[in-house]
Amino acid sequence: MSLQTLRVLEAFLENPTDELAGADVQKRSGLASGTLYPILLRLESAGWFVSRWEAIDPSSAGRPRRRLYRLTPQGLSRATEVFASFSFNRGVPV
Amino acid sequence: MSRAYHGSAARSARGSSDTSLSWVDGCARWAIRHAAHRAPPPLSERLEEEWLADLEARATPASRLLLGLGCCWAAAVIVQESLAPGLTAASTTGNKVMSSYARTDASLLSQRTTALAVIIGLHVALVFAFATGLGSKVIPLLPQALQASVLPQEHFAPPPPPPITGPSLIKPHIKDEFPPPEVKIDVDTGPDVIRDVAPTLEVTRATAPPTPQPINRVQGGPGKGFPNSEDYYPLSAKHLAETGTTVVNVCVDGTGHLTGSPTVARSSGSTRLDDGALKLARAGSGHYRATTENGRPVDACYPLGITFRLRD
Repeated sequence: MSLQTLRVLEAFLENPTDELAGADVQKRSGLASGTLYPILLRLESAGWFVSRWEAIDPSSAGRPRRRLYRLTPQGLSRATEVFASFSFNRGVPV
Repeated sequence: MSRAYHGSAARSARGSSDTSLSWVDGCARWAIRHAAHRAPPPLSERLEEEWLADLEARATPASRLLLGLGCCWAAAVIVQESLAPGLTAASTTGNKVMSSYARTDASLLSQRTTALAVIIGLHVALVFAFATGLGSKVIPLLPQALQASVLPQEHFAPPPPPPITGPSLIKPHIKDEFPPPEVKIDVDTGPDVIRDVAPTLEVTRATAPPTPQPINRVQGGPGKGFPNSEDYYPLSAKHLAETGTTVVNVCVDGTGHLTGSPTVARSSGSTRLDDGALKLARAGSGHYRATTENGRPVDACYPLGITFRLRD
């Protein structure tokens, strides 16, 4: 697993229940968009993430809807295992 | 559904803000659409809408432009991974795979392969040319090509300059015979007439020497109206009873005038008498008798003796 993938997972593990758009993940991880979006798709296709369109009315909100990503239970457990193997102190038992 | 939204709702949502977008924002949008269209069809519409939505979250034009460029790179990576599905699973399950650099295009005539083949071919051709001496065969042909382009200009070239024909130098035939000069000095013992024969210098050349002519020279001296030496006898010398003769050298022209200041040729032993003699010589200018050569007055210098003696 690459360091960039770990940084994406780290951004989600700050609050595993949050749904984050690509722009939010980029702010948290600091990754470039060219690196971030392939990782999001890769983790989604592997079942670690699920994504959905934001449930808003673009006309009333004044902006387009965003694609939101969220950790799946499987992804959460796997990500926790990965960080535990690296002895990362993320507030979870290691 | 997403395409329908993108065509209507999304455009209406962006309607007010599109007018304020700079050309940088337009470039970013173009790049995002271009990148999304390169993605596999199931993801193309989704990625375009997702990336355009994230573009709205960017505040500065620079960050928007970077997002557009990053999406182009992301699309290229996604395309590569879609061509190799096994790489995706491997990369997410712990096996680090540089999927973006993995070339799955097995075509022998891909762009990279073609470019590499052309470069190798050029290098091989250059090495072959130098190794076989092809360059030395080609280089002699170059001057012919240069002559072909230069030849038309020869019609406008100026004609060659005529050969320089200078005067022919003829070495003169000179018979240099310089016999020793024959100098004949005729010393006359007369008091004021010196018969002098000028030295004869004969230079014999190719032509016959001219017949020398005798010159009768009559030296000049005090003439009519020349002052009396008594008038220039210094009084101090008279009181001291100094007497003597001073020889003064005078230069006189044909009219009897001095041509230069007289000088003392031989002193009398008294400076007072010498000064009186010089004054007398200067006062006599115009009253000298000119020296003659064959009866013709000429300029000449000669000694003049001036005697001061006391009278009873």
